[in-house]
Amino acid sequence: MSDTESRPVDPISFEVIRNALVAATDEMVLALKRSAYSTNIKTRSDFSCAFFDASLRPIAQGFAQPVHLGSMVQQIPHAVRRFGPERLAPGDMVITNDPYPSGVHLNDVSLIAPVHHQGELLGYVANLAHHVDVGGGAPASIGAFREVFQEGVIVPPIRIVREGAIVDDVFRLLLAQIRSKHETAGDLRAQVAANTTGVRRIQALVDRHGRDTVLATMEELVDYTERRARAELAALPHGVYESKGSVDNDGYTDEVVRLRARVEITADAVHFDLAGCDPQRRAPVNSTYAQTFSACAYVLKCLIDPDLPVNEGFYRLITLNAPPGTVVNCTWPAPVVGGWETQTRLTDVMFRALLPAFPDRLPAGTKAMMAQAGFGSLDVEAGKYVCFYDTFAGGYGGRAASDGPDAVQAHGQNTENAPIEETELNYPVRIPTLALVEDSDGAGRFRGGLGLRKDYLFDRPTTFTILADRDRSGPDGAFGGEDGRKAEYLLIRGGVETRLGSKTTFDLEPGDVVSCRTCGGGGYGPPAERDPELVARDVREGTVSAERARDVYRVAVVNGAVDESATSELRRSA
Amino acid sequence: MSSRLAIDIGGTFTDATLIDEDTGAVSIAKVLSTPADPSLGFMAATERILAESDVAADDVTFVVHATTVATNAIIEGNIARGGFVTTEGFRDLLEIQRQTRPTLYDTRFEKTPPLVPRDRAFGVTERLGPGGEVLTPLDETSVREVAAALRDAGVESVAVCLLHAYVDPAHERRVGEILAEELPGVPISLSSDVAPEFREYLRASTTVINAAIRPVVARYLENIERRLAEAGVAAELLVMQSSGGVFGAGAAAQKPVFMVESGPAAGVIASANLGEVIGKADVISFDMGGTTAKVGLIQGGTPSVTKDYSVGSHASAGVGGLSLSGYPVRTPVIDLVEIGAGGGSIAWVDSGGMLRVGPRSAGADPGPVCYRRGGTEPTVTDANVVLGRLNPGYFLGGEIALDVEGARRAIAERCAEPLGLDVVEAANGIVEIANAAMVNALHLISVQRGYDPRDFVLVGFGGAGPVHANAIQRDCEVPTLVIPQAPGIFSATGLLGTDLKRDSSLTLLRPLEDLDVGEVERAFASLEETGTAELAREGLPRERIAFVRQVDMRYVGQSFELTIPLAEGAFDEGQSGSLRERFHAEHDRVYGFSAPAEPVELVSLRLTTVGRIEKPPLRTLERSERAPEPKEHRQVFFAEAGGFVECPIHDRYALGAGASFAGPAVVEELDSTVVVHPGFGVEIDDVGNLVIRKEHA
Repeated sequence: MSDTESRPVDPISFEVIRNALVAATDEMVLALKRSAYSTNIKTRSDFSCAFFDASLRPIAQGFAQPVHLGSMVQQIPHAVRRFGPERLAPGDMVITNDPYPSGVHLNDVSLIAPVHHQGELLGYVANLAHHVDVGGGAPASIGAFREVFQEGVIVPPIRIVREGAIVDDVFRLLLAQIRSKHETAGDLRAQVAANTTGVRRIQALVDRHGRDTVLATMEELVDYTERRARAELAALPHGVYESKGSVDNDGYTDEVVRLRARVEITADAVHFDLAGCDPQRRAPVNSTYAQTFSACAYVLKCLIDPDLPVNEGFYRLITLNAPPGTVVNCTWPAPVVGGWETQTRLTDVMFRALLPAFPDRLPAGTKAMMAQAGFGSLDVEAGKYVCFYDTFAGGYGGRAASDGPDAVQAHGQNTENAPIEETELNYPVRIPTLALVEDSDGAGRFRGGLGLRKDYLFDRPTTFTILADRDRSGPDGAFGGEDGRKAEYLLIRGGVETRLGSKTTFDLEPGDVVSCRTCGGGGYGPPAERDPELVARDVREGTVSAERARDVYRVAVVNGAVDESATSELRRSA
Repeated sequence: MSSRLAIDIGGTFTDATLIDEDTGAVSIAKVLSTPADPSLGFMAATERILAESDVAADDVTFVVHATTVATNAIIEGNIARGGFVTTEGFRDLLEIQRQTRPTLYDTRFEKTPPLVPRDRAFGVTERLGPGGEVLTPLDETSVREVAAALRDAGVESVAVCLLHAYVDPAHERRVGEILAEELPGVPISLSSDVAPEFREYLRASTTVINAAIRPVVARYLENIERRLAEAGVAAELLVMQSSGGVFGAGAAAQKPVFMVESGPAAGVIASANLGEVIGKADVISFDMGGTTAKVGLIQGGTPSVTKDYSVGSHASAGVGGLSLSGYPVRTPVIDLVEIGAGGGSIAWVDSGGMLRVGPRSAGADPGPVCYRRGGTEPTVTDANVVLGRLNPGYFLGGEIALDVEGARRAIAERCAEPLGLDVVEAANGIVEIANAAMVNALHLISVQRGYDPRDFVLVGFGGAGPVHANAIQRDCEVPTLVIPQAPGIFSATGLLGTDLKRDSSLTLLRPLEDLDVGEVERAFASLEETGTAELAREGLPRERIAFVRQVDMRYVGQSFELTIPLAEGAFDEGQSGSLRERFHAEHDRVYGFSAPAEPVELVSLRLTTVGRIEKPPLRTLERSERAPEPKEHRQVFFAEAGGFVECPIHDRYALGAGASFAGPAVVEELDSTVVVHPGFGVEIDDVGNLVIRKEHA
């Protein structure tokens, strides 16, 4: 390309290099997914990858999970600074999962590698992956613990790879703390492979375009993103929007966890003020600053052009006030394993606040919980501890022009389900049922999506944990729509059903069934305004019963078809 | 005298290619496609090419067809009223899918609507465990009840997918028998037959697609067969599969899900065949048309095949295997990285003031501004016109007189002025950005899969491919680029050189150390027997049948398998013994690490039964001793030469074998234009390929 002197980077090289940077992080994503061991990473895609420049500004991100959007950009720079960038040589990698001062929960383990070119530091590639088990008080390292120390092994930023080889002493020390050693070892190796891929690709990019051009492009990319994001902000409805909500309980006490969000959109920035959220608990509902920041980043990203790249230029527009010592910015040594539950619920509260300003864009209340389940059992003969982790979809909220989709992940969470056959093949469990929860929709002109039911049957003693929410109140309806049906967590033993808490660890006997039934999404608009033909379809498909069609939607459905005159009568009397 | 006929139905045109089996002479004909009844276009093209080449209908020995009918049926919702039968407790599999959103930040997303709605999805009482053990025996009464409900629902086609049926198909087969009895005339597709692999949603989705398009495809193929017979063509109709082999129309009508990517496969097969002719087994194919560019990889003469594929998704250009939209298909598909960068891709300046190319395309209608069909947004083709690379007076042999001024104006107004560039800089930028996207695609298919593009030969074709291929070659440092004759219809010649193919597989799931060599050999032998019988039904003699055996392996605990080809001959201790080491080596090659201490398992056996079909001869080109004379010169822009240079323009049809010249140069022919950059040299080989290599400084 001929030189264009007027700009630091010509627009053509810029576009070429920008795409190549994203391609590099995408290739890391593929490398990690394909070589990982645990169902959680290889199938459920519970990880993300990113590239940072030498001053630790986020430049490019290859996502699988939006929750990692804002959290990685807090965690990775802190980790590198704590370790000391000057101590990182080519071929080294740092590992960390430390929630304090600026991490997430212990299961999310990050690996960071510096990228050098001809001896000079260009930046860092990093990937974060949710490990099925990191030790601690219960299999899968989830549970209602009171301090972070009970939640698993805490790894401050330390060297895990030196000159391209895994540091064996460190690796063995880590594995010794962990139940499912085989999977964890395989997943860690896959994380190393992903970073190796990233380092090579960035180096090749610099080989091809030259160091100065690549660095100048990174600089321009940040400015460019900020320019575009500002243009987007200018077009949003400026104002102050507020709402409240709560997590049902904290898992140790029955006290609700109150959340409060004030979102101010101005021409220059979006301010998230979370003053008024409850103090942190000695219970698993504390969100770290990084987790909370990621909720803000997610909300803003949903409001603007999805084509906008994510890097420092985007994050600059977010300001966050999350008072330390609260459930949205917890301090050491508060437990953090359920922080994502609070973070997701907080996202819903922010959506709720913004709904009046974006009635065509945002949904009624969604599932708004991670809905995690984990179990583990010891295979005495094989001398192996097997751990499993899954999250459940739920109903999405109805929208201004369409129903909320059934059984789908919401907000920052987009992990796939663990396939039944893969689960039964690899883990000591049987899944007798995977189904939609009929009649769980929040009724509305556009109804909420249905919740999900997944049952687990065990034939050997097993420890099971549910770390979820929403069994006291379902997602909010909007503009006259009804709330979604709340979740239920049941133990079925000898044919007898017992309600379980939404945040609990318990032991199972052979033959026991755990049945998780998540909430439906909130409805949008008054149910009596729903198109009767849509109600009839729902009745035909069995998602809504004829009784609810009549009583709630005020539609008479006979033999799968709308009874016009009976329906007019019902709706007149409504 | 006998001839082979290939018909490729695309969105705009239906292309016919006829090759003389004795001389290798190729003729082509193009007619407009007839979407309402594609068989009309099929026959119009057939009749036209037979008349123009003076070939009698009964001299046609071989008719092969590539079609998007299967894909279009899904995209357009032109599908059968289907039913879905699964294990009790799982009727919502098609609704729940993978529980993910197709996009991350769009709050107005929709899940892909199931091809069978919930009121036609039923569970039957039965259950297998993961080892195939019967946990609940099949309750035949429950099947008959479901059959009655399906009958009441008026279904036209049924998909059956029972849990763990990939291990033991007995329950599924019995369900299939009962449904066939109870629902006479309704085709039944069994998951254990269509895609016997684990992970229930992927298998169910594949089976449901098969069922949904089966009646449509069967009617379509019957129509064509009937019309061919009426026209006096007695040869059997063969259909291109997504994996690159062909199968008979009868088999295609039963398993249409194997042909969802029938069209794009042809170009890769054509590239593999070309590689064979020129003695290069490792080839990267680069096919660029109006809306997309597709890159494929052939190693050791065999195209890469994948099973991570979704049909009906909007983002097939996404990173391979990560697409969350569309209907997943687990049948073998030629591995292509497809990106939205074609001649018609639109260049624009975004809100941050940066130049972008695609993903929107002006398509064929209105097309690029220079086509004078009402297009107003500048495209990659417009940029090439401004740069002097395309000849305004000789586009499609002069059929369209290109509007150079219109192209300049559009680029000036919409790109150059907002960016503060001059129009030529902007035009060059558009081309560079499109090229860079293609370089990234080439990296994804090669480097990302553990291959070094420098070890491959690049084959460039499609209408727009030869314009850009040399720049891609340069940026990826591929030593040799080959531009075949008639690159615009090169894909169609792939149809004429393809073998009959049947892919079958069997999930075994055994730790490598417990492998029973006899069991594996017996399983392969049984797959071979079935494959042979199927090809024999298509009239192929035993001696033309060959087998390719492969195994899928992984470390215990992984989910993505690596496919390891087996040597010919019976599976014995020797073969078994080398598997472990070969797997570690392959894992290291693909992922950059291996774990020699870790246990390895063999997941499934794969067999490809190949019915060899003799390749048509390639017509050799007369040697020309004279130095090639350019037909003219014109100003063509090359950034590396500092701007416009006086560039020789060659007429491809005047170039004899053995001729050579250096870039910068442009070679024009009816259906494409080859751009040769400075620093590269061109040679014409004996079969008329342009062979382009970097000149040594």
